[in-house]
Amino acid sequence: MSEADSSAAIGYEPLNGGGGRVWVPLGGARRVAALSEHSRKRLVSAVLDVMPGPGTRLVLLGVDVEGLGPAGRAALRDRIAFLPADGGLLSSLNAWENVVLPVGFHSPARLASVEAEVTATLASLGADPEALLAKLPERMTPYEKNLIGYVRITLEKPDLLLAEEAQGELDSAERAAAARFPEIYLERCKGGTYVQLENASGPQGPEF
Amino acid sequence: MIGVYREFEGCMRLAGYVLSRLPVLARPPVAESLTRQIYFTGASATAGIVLRGAFIGTFIIAYVIDVLEADAALAVKILLWVVLREVGPLIAAVLVIQRSGTAITTELALMQISGEVTNLRHMRIDPRDYLVVPRVVGVALSTAALTFYVQVIAVGGGMLLSALSIDASLGELSSEFFALARPLDLVYSTIKSCLFGAAIGLVCCYHGLHPPGVSINAVPKAAINGVTQSTLLVLLLNVVFAYLVFGQAFFGLVTAKL
Repeated sequence: MSEADSSAAIGYEPLNGGGGRVWVPLGGARRVAALSEHSRKRLVSAVLDVMPGPGTRLVLLGVDVEGLGPAGRAALRDRIAFLPADGGLLSSLNAWENVVLPVGFHSPARLASVEAEVTATLASLGADPEALLAKLPERMTPYEKNLIGYVRITLEKPDLLLAEEAQGELDSAERAAAARFPEIYLERCKGGTYVQLENASGPQGPEF
Repeated sequence: MIGVYREFEGCMRLAGYVLSRLPVLARPPVAESLTRQIYFTGASATAGIVLRGAFIGTFIIAYVIDVLEADAALAVKILLWVVLREVGPLIAAVLVIQRSGTAITTELALMQISGEVTNLRHMRIDPRDYLVVPRVVGVALSTAALTFYVQVIAVGGGMLLSALSIDASLGELSSEFFALARPLDLVYSTIKSCLFGAAIGLVCCYHGLHPPGVSINAVPKAAINGVTQSTLLVLLLNVVFAYLVFGQAFFGLVTAKL
């Protein structure tokens, strides 16, 4: 494994040397712009399945996934989280139930202590925790859905967070709060990598 | 034919998975989902299901007593054999299919189509753990409870009706009933109704998680598949169970020779 590989949070490249290469260094917040919906989906799918597509090579959190067995892939997957634009919520659960679902499932012992953390995160982002946490997804704005999905992920403290922006028009307060997502994530997850996925029309970041 | 085999194999695999993952019910979100399922199937529907079941059971008794011109002994035997062993569990199962089976298949098919099942995978939660295990267990337990209610009310109603329509007192009928009834009858119907409930839950969850398409049109198709196949499976299980336990099926037309 090369030095470049060991320092990559995401290293994704076609083996034939064609276009579509993504290289994101470990640590900090980065933006990555996808040239098309197809290439964005392909990258997300490869990262979440911890499986390079045909004719591609994938490095995640400094590990070339090619040599990993099922247990190694599962262990690596546990360190990665994905925030879809719509927050990835379950419509039958209210915001609070959505937030604590993965924690309750994977580490129930932590359930008792997360309420303060959730409330603090929401308050720091300018939301009213009491009102928001009681809402069902059908009553939330696109930004609120994205925010609840984000709060849920911060509880999991992943080493790599792949995030999509909320869809639709955001007002200035929402835009300002959403801009703080990477900062709050990096405060909570020391040494973590926040990757903001954008379309090619977005402002910065390498295209693939 | 291959499709039917695949569906059968899929349901069997799902059953094996559910059995192997029962400990997951201890995790808070799954336990909550189990409670909701029991509340939906076993509690919130109780009044309607039990009344309908009891009405059907009592109606059958009234009809059979009238047609056979039954005396007290025959009326009690009919109550025991028909209502307690067969009609009670079957009525409860059919009503559970109508109410909870359709709801489960539709909900899971919508979750599959809208991407919520994928969202669960993104959270590293196996959808079968969170969606299937609590529903199958919840429907099984609820069906057993509903069967018990239906039996109690249908047998009680049947006895009351028998006392009114034949020359026998309610005390005479009930003492004869309790003399004839064995604990095995209750164990038999409880196990059978649990099995019916589990089968309904499995088949409906399977079709909900495997809708025949990705458009909204696939939802009613999945519901139809879930309801028809779980009804058939319940009837088949009833025959197999009667044959295994009492050595007879199809009302004695097929008899076991051991």
